[in-house]
Amino acid sequence: MKKSFIFPIIFMVLITAIFTFVLAFLNQSTAERVALNQEIELSRKILYIFDIKPPSEKPEDVLKVFDEKISSMPYEDGLVYVYHGDEGQVLGYAVPVSGPGLWGSVEAYVGISHDYSTILGIDFIRHSETPGLGGRISEDDFKEQFRGLDLTKASDGNYIIYRPAPGGNVDAIAGATLTSKSVSNIINEDLHRFLKERGNS
Amino acid sequence: MDSPKKIFKMGVIKDNPVIVQIIGICSALAVTNLMMNSLIMGVGLMFVTGLSSFTVSLIRNYTPKHIRMMVQVLIIAAYVIIVDIFLQAYMPEMSKALGPYVGLIITNCIIMGRAEAYAQQNPPILSFLDGVASGLGYTIVLLMIAFVRELFGFGTIFGIKVLGDWWTPWTIMIMPPAAFFLLAIIIWVSNTIQEKNKDVKKGEVAK
Repeated sequence: MKKSFIFPIIFMVLITAIFTFVLAFLNQSTAERVALNQEIELSRKILYIFDIKPPSEKPEDVLKVFDEKISSMPYEDGLVYVYHGDEGQVLGYAVPVSGPGLWGSVEAYVGISHDYSTILGIDFIRHSETPGLGGRISEDDFKEQFRGLDLTKASDGNYIIYRPAPGGNVDAIAGATLTSKSVSNIINEDLHRFLKERGNS
Repeated sequence: MDSPKKIFKMGVIKDNPVIVQIIGICSALAVTNLMMNSLIMGVGLMFVTGLSSFTVSLIRNYTPKHIRMMVQVLIIAAYVIIVDIFLQAYMPEMSKALGPYVGLIITNCIIMGRAEAYAQQNPPILSFLDGVASGLGYTIVLLMIAFVRELFGFGTIFGIKVLGDWWTPWTIMIMPPAAFFLLAIIIWVSNTIQEKNKDVKKGEVAK
């Protein structure tokens, strides 16, 4: 092997360039697909929040129903999704909420009815909680509990209270107390802000 | 020249990365609370170990010795990113389940261990097989640990309920300490068996 000074540098630069090129090419050629996958994923979740069942789980059906019923409008840094009925009337809003979880930030949408009185549903867009423990917040058993919760009775923005505390309306996840706590804090805080801004006007 | 059979026997049993070499145990402890996670992690690792060993071996005669580790890390990182991109584009469901674990593959010392110990001295095809064999050995151990942890921790296997409602899940099994105990027990049992086999063989030779 050559003991030159310059050869290793050239070699390293060359090999880095080759791999970067390959990765960039792969990334570029799949970017559209990845973006589409993410869009489908988000559409599915928004539909789930409003409890709308598309005719099938196929991407085309999901996107079609989504385009028909949901529109969006800007809110803070993100979007609020608006659920329209057949005559175009507003049936509900999906509000983005986010904040720190136990291991990383948790992002979710909370669906509330058009008169801001009940929670229609909730789904998590992104989180990095421990699979099997805190990660179970994205399981249906946990999420379904939020459907139909009354927002008008809550005081001081405590919409979500875990049982068995007084006034509790949701069961926390056993073995994931901190994640459960973060989720309720995130929802309570961000929803309170949204309702203060919109609900009272 | 090693035969493929020998390579697999070394990678899976005699020189199993986790229970004999005790490398890659960080991820073995982290992802084994569910069998699905372990399987996906194992398959990802097999792919990356095989192909990075192949590539390292392919360019081994041109790589200046003192920068070879830099080159290896670069190659490994590139393959892990390829796995990540592929999953995101074609298997979004899988990618969702895998999430943070894809990145963890980069930090697995098995990959670099094989590149250093084997691929640096051997031809590409054999290096590829060696990488796959080590990955397989790793996957099997992970699945063994995950089987016990998921069974006792959730009462399920691959998410399918096998133990009825009467079963009280052992929370300790889902927590990291359980993986320590189980890994230690598996290493203990397998070493005892392998020691015994060695003794038997020696005895035969002596006769």
